[in-house]
Amino acid sequence: MAFFSITAVAQQKNVSQKDSIIYQKNYGLRLGVDMSKLLIGATDDHFSGYELVGDYRIQKDLYIAGEIGFIEKTSDEDNYNFTTKGSYITVGFNKNTFQNWLEMDNEIYYGARYGFSSFSQKVNTYTVFQKGTEIEGVSSAYFEPKTVDLNRTYTNLSAHWISFVLGLKVETFNNLFLGASVNFSKLIGATEPNNFKNLYIPGFNKVYVTNSGVSFNYTLSYRIPLYKK
Amino acid sequence: MKKYRLVFLLLLSLLSACENDDFCTEDTTPRLIIGFYDLENPEEFKKAPLIVWAEKMDSIYQEASLDSIALPLNPDSRNITYKFSHSKEVDQINFTYESEDVFVSESCGFKAIFTNLGIESSTNIWIESIDINNSFIENENQVHVKIFH
Repeated sequence: MAFFSITAVAQQKNVSQKDSIIYQKNYGLRLGVDMSKLLIGATDDHFSGYELVGDYRIQKDLYIAGEIGFIEKTSDEDNYNFTTKGSYITVGFNKNTFQNWLEMDNEIYYGARYGFSSFSQKVNTYTVFQKGTEIEGVSSAYFEPKTVDLNRTYTNLSAHWISFVLGLKVETFNNLFLGASVNFSKLIGATEPNNFKNLYIPGFNKVYVTNSGVSFNYTLSYRIPLYKK
Repeated sequence: MKKYRLVFLLLLSLLSACENDDFCTEDTTPRLIIGFYDLENPEEFKKAPLIVWAEKMDSIYQEASLDSIALPLNPDSRNITYKFSHSKEVDQINFTYESEDVFVSESCGFKAIFTNLGIESSTNIWIESIDINNSFIENENQVHVKIFH
């Protein structure tokens, strides 16, 4: 919510800007990396991944944007454990809504993406879920639960989705940006493994029961300036 | 600010769509359902006061007078012997089966279902006859084994 109030202040100041000179904006290709995935990968044994982000300014406030990445993640659930491994690509646009003062070039943007991922799911181990048997009022497992080291890999899986993106970018030094964004995604389709389910998809993140997902990134990016307009 | 209000509402509605599937509410590994029937009138249930246990294990039913009971099967084994004590007379049935593990959902994980249910051996002290009604045990909605007495 803090972003929104900053914008409100910015809009009030605009009134006095009418007769000022027009500041030109840098146009170019901006490339960056998601630092959160690198950080999580360095601290969490069950995750490794990277994401490269890029955008290209086509109008003062409009960018063509996309991400590519690779993720390998092991998810530990109560009764089973699986590893998802694969890469993804997303393409779409970002529309800046932030009114900058002077030569500043910050952004509060919204956008949309189409995402595609190609991946594999490996079911490592599972324990068969069997309801407890009640004996003298106490419910417990009647037999020793059955645990299987399956190590079965389902390959050639894919999924595609659409996302709504909200984010911000701050120019810290000339052409160097810090950014954060959140993606709200909805699966359009996926090839499901036989006798398992895509509970995690690279790029999409955890798949909730409604086939929706949320993902975040924190980026550091650099704009290769091509021209000013 | 109107634009932001719209975006904020959209964001809220998307967040609420992310429901977690926390509790296992689906049917998981089914138990074996045994019904007790009247030998003279095979369509009618006939209750039996029973103590039931798997060989070398605790009793699941103690002096319960029921027309049907549910017994767990061990997915890690291919056979199990259950003992049925009726007025101090103990009969036993050795069931054989195959099991298959099936993925249910995120919160339940895997369950087992049982196929090719058969009877390897049985005794006939108070039990007159045994009939397999359904050798495929996928749910607990019907009687799988009928015992006539």
